[in-house]
Amino acid sequence: MKRRAPQLVILLCLWAQVYAASHTLVLVVRADSKVTALDSLTVRKLFLGLPVLIDGTPLHPLRNRSDSQLDPIFLQQIVAMSQSAYDRQILIGVNRQGWLRPVEVNSGSRLIETLYADPSAVTFMWLQDVAHNPKVRVIRELWSD
Amino acid sequence: MNTLRLRLLGVVLVIHAALVPLLYLGVTAIVTDGYAELFVNPARSYSQLVADELEASSTDRFEPRATELLDGVLLTGQVVFAEIVDGNRKIRSSVPSRIAPADRRDDFRFGQHNDEVYYISHTVKRPDHSIVLRMGFDESPTLEQITAAKQRVLIAILAFTAASLVVAIWLSAVIARPMVRLQEAAKRIAGGDFRTQLSMSSSIREVQELNRHLEDMRQKLVGTNERLEREMSEREASEAKRLDLERRLLHRERIATIGTLAGGIAHEFNNIMTPILLYSQVALQDAPAGGPLARDLTRIVAAAHRARSLVNGILTFSREMDLQKASVFAVRPTIDEALGLLRAIVPANVEISFEPQPEVAPVFGDPSLLHQVVVNLCTNAYQAMHPAGGRIALRLTSVHNPPMTQLNEGRYVLLEVSDTGHGMDESVLAHIFDPFFTTRDVGEGTGLGLSIVHGIITSMSGAITVESAVGKGTMVQIFLPAAAA
Repeated sequence: MKRRAPQLVILLCLWAQVYAASHTLVLVVRADSKVTALDSLTVRKLFLGLPVLIDGTPLHPLRNRSDSQLDPIFLQQIVAMSQSAYDRQILIGVNRQGWLRPVEVNSGSRLIETLYADPSAVTFMWLQDVAHNPKVRVIRELWSD
Repeated sequence: MNTLRLRLLGVVLVIHAALVPLLYLGVTAIVTDGYAELFVNPARSYSQLVADELEASSTDRFEPRATELLDGVLLTGQVVFAEIVDGNRKIRSSVPSRIAPADRRDDFRFGQHNDEVYYISHTVKRPDHSIVLRMGFDESPTLEQITAAKQRVLIAILAFTAASLVVAIWLSAVIARPMVRLQEAAKRIAGGDFRTQLSMSSSIREVQELNRHLEDMRQKLVGTNERLEREMSEREASEAKRLDLERRLLHRERIATIGTLAGGIAHEFNNIMTPILLYSQVALQDAPAGGPLARDLTRIVAAAHRARSLVNGILTFSREMDLQKASVFAVRPTIDEALGLLRAIVPANVEISFEPQPEVAPVFGDPSLLHQVVVNLCTNAYQAMHPAGGRIALRLTSVHNPPMTQLNEGRYVLLEVSDTGHGMDESVLAHIFDPFFTTRDVGEGTGLGLSIVHGIITSMSGAITVESAVGKGTMVQIFLPAAAA
């Protein structure tokens, strides 16, 4: 039992680290993306469908819907409105302004694949999912509890 | 709950009991969501704006600027708590917060906790590190609005429920009224009142069709009932006629048997009486006048005459009409002649009246037999009024199709003979035409009078009826077929 105590402590530390990471939402791009930083207003514009250009290249927002916990955080922290207001804004933007609706991805693996494939793609993920991924780069923290 | 109206009301009540709570819950959920939307959207936008402002603030004088910003946030009145967390350091407004902050960072749903505060935190990126803006928005005004809205919804739904119940009561009455009328009409029909027409005004097509079908059924039922009643009446009349014919046939056969027997005896007796009467009269001529022998012989002759008269009566009763003596004759002179004879013999306290109708048709038969009929009837009548006296009334009229089953249709002469005598009861009436039936003492009547009358009328193809009541008198009606003049 005494031999196993350090192992348990290490496991508890790892669990705590993982737990802490799971409650931090970050904005990510592909590792070789030209995007280095985005302020909160630009992030909001991006996910409302407004065209955001970096070096003349439009960014492609990917709405991560792989986890149901992400939806309220997305609405409150990123676009700062309710679901119905967001839907209305998207409809107005798409139909009246010709903006593009952010692509919604329901699978975490598909999200990663899409992100890998598009250097202009921007999405948000739990920090724990991207902490040790060299192909993905965190550009800012969006929310943590 | 057995009446249609109560069932309709019951159904409406059950539907309301099931739907009204659902309606209330649904409407209040919509109202709550609407108010929550109206609360959450500005709160999120406003907090994001503040976060954006903080993120855009220059590094120089960041903390005084942040404090001013938090002061402005709290002074809006909508935010009850605001702070900036920078690592272990907290920047707060110089305006005191209205509440002590709860131990949580974010609410993602309106009214998620019961402290009436909606917490939003934003990570604000600064050049060198990130800080967290945390704000608490006051939910209580919106909660009060929601409560007031729920009360208004409740009042509206209760008013709607009350109104719809009133409508349901009225509607159930409208629907049930024609059915109740139908039921009452059906009850009357079931009670035998088939004339009750099923007619009601209803705008409901099903009720109209039901009424029409029931009315058709009623009319068919009425028709069937009338046919049955008619058939039963005809059958009863036919049965009565059959019984009457049977009774009269039996009576005729009995009379005929008696008549044949009596006629045979009378004929032989008449043959015996002829020498008795003849030799008695011869002997009376030879007997000394005034002596005992002449007196005895006179009595023998008188008795023989009475016996012959009796025998003649029996023969009259038993024999058919003698066609050689029959002819078409006027009735009135025959009756006048008979009454002339009768007026001479009836007591003075008996009044005889005769009312002949003018233009009475003649009849076919032997006038002397009709003469005997009148005499016999009037004799019976004045004997029935003895000794008090009274009135004998004769009427002579013409009738068409008399209501006698044994008579054919056609014109008849009706002779009515009524008296104010003591009358007869039913038991006497049943036997008055039987030969030798009499209510008089032995020796005072032969019981052949009415039998002879019956025989004569029958031989003339006529009919005789007698109505009598004890103490009120007797009425005899004689119908004789009118002969062509």
